[in-house]
Amino acid sequence: MGRFREKLMDWKKRLSDRHMYSVVIVLIAVVAAWGIFQYKRAADLRQELDNQYNRAFYEMIGYVQNVEVLLTKSMICSTNEMAAETLQEAWHQANLAQTNLGQLPVTQDVLANTSKFLCQVGDFALSLDRQNINGKGIDDEQYRTLEKLQEFSVSLEEGLNNLQASISEGRIKWNELANKGTQMFRKQSENLPGQMFSDINNSFQEFPTLIYDGPFSDHMGSMQPRGLTGNDMGVEEAQQKLKEFFGADKVTSVEHTGEIQTDTLPAYTFRITFNDRPEEEFAAADVTKKGAHVIWMLNNRDIGQETLDVDKAKEAGMKFLESRGYSNMKDTYYVKEDSTATINYAFEQEGVVVYPDLIKVKIALDTGEVVGFESKGFIMNHTQRQIPEPALTEEQAIARAGTRADINSVGMALIPTKFGTEIFCYELKGKLKDKDFLAYINAATGKEEQVLIIINTENGILTL
Amino acid sequence: MMLKNKKQKCIMWISILSVILCMTVPCFFYTISIAQSTRSSDEQMIARAINGEARGESYEGQVAVGAIILNRVNSADFPNTVAGVIYQPGAFTAVTDGQINVPIDAGSSVLKAARDAINGWDPTGGCLYYWNPATATSKWIWSKQIVKAIGKHNFGK
Repeated sequence: MGRFREKLMDWKKRLSDRHMYSVVIVLIAVVAAWGIFQYKRAADLRQELDNQYNRAFYEMIGYVQNVEVLLTKSMICSTNEMAAETLQEAWHQANLAQTNLGQLPVTQDVLANTSKFLCQVGDFALSLDRQNINGKGIDDEQYRTLEKLQEFSVSLEEGLNNLQASISEGRIKWNELANKGTQMFRKQSENLPGQMFSDINNSFQEFPTLIYDGPFSDHMGSMQPRGLTGNDMGVEEAQQKLKEFFGADKVTSVEHTGEIQTDTLPAYTFRITFNDRPEEEFAAADVTKKGAHVIWMLNNRDIGQETLDVDKAKEAGMKFLESRGYSNMKDTYYVKEDSTATINYAFEQEGVVVYPDLIKVKIALDTGEVVGFESKGFIMNHTQRQIPEPALTEEQAIARAGTRADINSVGMALIPTKFGTEIFCYELKGKLKDKDFLAYINAATGKEEQVLIIINTENGILTL
Repeated sequence: MMLKNKKQKCIMWISILSVILCMTVPCFFYTISIAQSTRSSDEQMIARAINGEARGESYEGQVAVGAIILNRVNSADFPNTVAGVIYQPGAFTAVTDGQINVPIDAGSSVLKAARDAINGWDPTGGCLYYWNPATATSKWIWSKQIVKAIGKHNFGK
């Protein structure tokens, strides 16, 4: 203690020396300059961020206004062509509004319903647009939905305008919304603008579930799996199934690690260790409670020197599928990465490739062992289908594809739509200016349903 | 102020130097982090997000975080692009604290996990949210139905 005091006195004495004062002043000046510089920098950055938030917000208001106006116009339009044009623009504007909404510093639970609304407006407008292009007008029920959507877009617009007034009057600042650091700011943001966004949302909660063929409509989420056959199984039966799946001689243990609680595919989850691998190289898998189907499996083991090519891998995958009870599968596309090949297999029925019934197999290119398996598409969709007689002949289908491209081969396929339905098509493989492509011609109506460009690289065949 | 001796001059110069250093050093750091984050495809972006969010998790847990991002892209409640989802304000702590800018090694397991997620593996059964029950601060996240727990994270819809 005494020594400390001595030092302090010494320091004081030295300070009283006039030269030392200047040193201290310089030091303080340095710190102050640094502080001012940092403060200014932080203020600049915050301003820049605020500007971005404001831009996103004001742009969103503009887009929502456009959506409302375009929906109104589409109800007035007397010709299908004009309505189609207006609805397509409404779809476009709703998308832009949603993009900007996602950039606002407001918590997700507050924004979710507004986002969903914009998405549904867009999807609905687009599906009506397609219908109009095909020459079919809007029916009464669709008109009523359109009316309701328009009403809701008006109330969204009002809510946004109120919020905008608060922001431009300076009562709310974006950084107050964005800053979650201190309790005070959080409370403020909960009381003020967050609340306002919640109000906007509440008016959508009563929004009726839209029944339309859109990818985001609620019936997709609750779609019942068609390929989920079999009885309810216990954990032991699922474990037994997994042992057979990997090969009973290879598996050391199958540990039950938990469960997946969903309405569509309730499942057990497992961790599997192997005889020939160290314990930290284990695999994980989910097995459905009903019928003990393997939904997916991943084995993240180290992969050694590549010895197999993709054709060998395709054979290995096919053999694996056949021995596990998946027969009549046909390989379609693949990617090669990290010394593995991920190959898509689709179910084939009476020479028709059924694309929705999809299984992905990931094969290690050192030994040909299956290190990944994914069959959600198969479980959700697989069933024995009634395949109709095509109304078009092959020649007619080729004629539909146009004259500019060369068609190399023709097959039959069932393709999935965004709406959860399937279309029976001619699958034409062709070439246009050294770009390979696939064209799908509806076998009943001759309509061109889908065009895919095939990207052929050394790492795989993918479609766009 | 007159500078009478060498010692004072020396101190003066050191102070001036330190001012310049204080002002320039942060600039170096800023430019570095921006340069590294400019060129990234979806795969890289997802891998970096996984790296920031679930580096210490099992491989399954890493694929699961990638699957969450892709499930969000496909959900109406969230933005429609990978970049939109990852950079949504406040959505991922790895973005908020800048860990998203940490570069990834070519053979890293987070990159493999990102690829598996893009190829369609989804260990979460279609979840949109995940949180660490030990550190989660927001109350509303607990209102979500827990579908599955992987490692330190709860996954929910």
